[in-house]
Amino acid sequence: MEHVDHILIVDDDREIRELVGNYLKKNGLRTTVVADGRQMRAFLDSTPVDLIVLDIMMPGDDGLMLCRELRAGKHKSTPILMLTARNDETDRIIGLEMGADDYLTKPFAARELLARINAVLRRTRMLPPNLAVTESGRLIAFGRWRLDTSARHLLDDDGTMVTLSGAEYRLLRVFLDHPQRVLNRDQLLNLTQGRDADLFDRSIDLLVSRLRQRLLDDAREPAYIKTVRSEGYVFSLPVEILGAQT
Amino acid sequence: MNLSLHWPRTLASRLSLIFLVGLILAQALSFGAQFYERYESAKSTMLGNLETDVSTSIAILDRLPADERASWLQRLNRPNYGYVLGEGEPGTPMNMQEPPMAVASINEAMNPAYKLTYTDIPGTQKHFQGHLRLSDGNPLTIDVRPTMLPISPWLPAVLLGQLALLIGCTWLAVRIAIRPLTRLAQAVETLDPNAHAVHLDEKGPTEVAYAAKAFNAMQARIAAYLKERMQLLAAISHDLQTPITRMKLRAEFMDESVEKDKLWNDLGEIEHLVREGVAYARSVHGATEATCRTDLDSFLDSLVFDYQDMGKDVQLDGKSATVIDTRPHALRRVLVNLVDNALKFAGAAEMHVQALTNGKLSVKVMDRGPGIAEEELAQVMEPFYRVESSRNRSTGGTGLGLAIAQQLALAIGGSLVLSNRQGGGLCAELTLPKGIAHP
Repeated sequence: MEHVDHILIVDDDREIRELVGNYLKKNGLRTTVVADGRQMRAFLDSTPVDLIVLDIMMPGDDGLMLCRELRAGKHKSTPILMLTARNDETDRIIGLEMGADDYLTKPFAARELLARINAVLRRTRMLPPNLAVTESGRLIAFGRWRLDTSARHLLDDDGTMVTLSGAEYRLLRVFLDHPQRVLNRDQLLNLTQGRDADLFDRSIDLLVSRLRQRLLDDAREPAYIKTVRSEGYVFSLPVEILGAQT
Repeated sequence: MNLSLHWPRTLASRLSLIFLVGLILAQALSFGAQFYERYESAKSTMLGNLETDVSTSIAILDRLPADERASWLQRLNRPNYGYVLGEGEPGTPMNMQEPPMAVASINEAMNPAYKLTYTDIPGTQKHFQGHLRLSDGNPLTIDVRPTMLPISPWLPAVLLGQLALLIGCTWLAVRIAIRPLTRLAQAVETLDPNAHAVHLDEKGPTEVAYAAKAFNAMQARIAAYLKERMQLLAAISHDLQTPITRMKLRAEFMDESVEKDKLWNDLGEIEHLVREGVAYARSVHGATEATCRTDLDSFLDSLVFDYQDMGKDVQLDGKSATVIDTRPHALRRVLVNLVDNALKFAGAAEMHVQALTNGKLSVKVMDRGPGIAEEELAQVMEPFYRVESSRNRSTGGTGLGLAIAQQLALAIGGSLVLSNRQGGGLCAELTLPKGIAHP
């Protein structure tokens, strides 16, 4: 029998959690809804789930606290999707630092939530288990650069922030998650877009050249992203995951 | 009366004028009084002297033998009057209704022994002569040449000195009186309740301290009102999010229909308004975000690429080669709001970055849209203000986009200025503080 993903929804608003639950159920997912951290813990003790949708603003233990608790315990690899009521970058960053995989701002459309859930599930499954880097506020160091995965920007060796566009960030993440491994354009496109986007092959090349510029990498003799003729690209430097932010 | 027409405009010059005119008048009065008093006493002494002196001199001349008189004349002459043997010079008989005071004195001294007749002698120096006959019948003339009272040469210098002192004191007094007022006016002018309060010094004279205290209190009150308003806006916006979420979720369960689409659009609008409301409230509260050393070129590049990746026509031109200390999310929000505005009204946006000659950085967001009427340029940055053409919600936003951009620009130490472009369209120029050039 095909595996049906089981989603746990934690939200203090009864209507919202039931509406979300019903929508996801209608779209072929298994759902369980609970109202707070206590109920969540009780449920997780008996049943493993594939993904947890966690509201940040809750009375008692709030979402951020629960998220940290989950990451510290035996559910550290269960993907978490945060719901935040504030359209605020700080909330997003804190959420991601606490170990959430993605976030969604209220009010959201249920189909948007469904798309995000599917994207997170696909992403976590695609990653090789030994390099399952979740977005947990860690810094990834390579060469003279550090990538801040929660704020999604680069820091150079003297701490100056170099901003990346969304696409650049996603491509760099793909390279950093698969270092020293040749990736062809299809794979890059797939991993970068997260869905089968009908973009030209060319756009990956363009994106790679932009990323090289950003990394101050010489296009003729690149130190970071090397071109493998007729195959694709390879990130040629070793990658180190730093535990704490400096 | 057209006095008011010539009344000077500034309080300083008015006060100076009053002080100066008043003081000079008072000074002139006291000087005049003293002068008059001195004149009177000098006159009475002089006339007294004249009386005795003239009668003595005439008596001497009268008793001297006629041939010895000429040799005595020299000794009897005085600076203001002298004696001439003979009939004197021809002249017009004096009008005896208003004789000079010296005439009365001389008459007093001479009566009743001698009868005098007086004549005015015209000429460059007018004087008069008194004619009499001595006891031997020979004529004698008293020549009286009234002169001005002698004025000491240092007196004008003293007067000038006094005038200078008056002007100096007036200037000082006016300055002391005006300065706190000027300071208060400046403080009121620069008063921006959203920015940090300008605290006026509550020292100085009582009235000044009182005004400063009142101003500071007013400022605190305005800030409190604003904060309250913002908290209200934030609270309403925030609390609306849960019901909107429920409604959106419920709407998704409805069957496809025109009604559903309409409901969906309405919810979208409410949601947008709420979001902008929260963003505006937060932007006014001042940024909580930490500053960060940011490479400006990569910052702008990535912003433009994000737009281009969404298929939007946004171009960037120019390089700054600068690292700036800024709050990246606030800066991004400012630029996103400006670019979104350009895209909404013109469908395309051009960005231009350059370092200005004064070291500051200019980031322009330009479009070829309809622009904004000159008289509305300042108002569009006020919250909830919409230009007439965007009143219609389907094209217009919440009226908060530019207000947020403006607030955040201030919060990151910059400024935002809108202007219409030559050839049509709007140019929004964000000026950022000086950065550090990097190679």
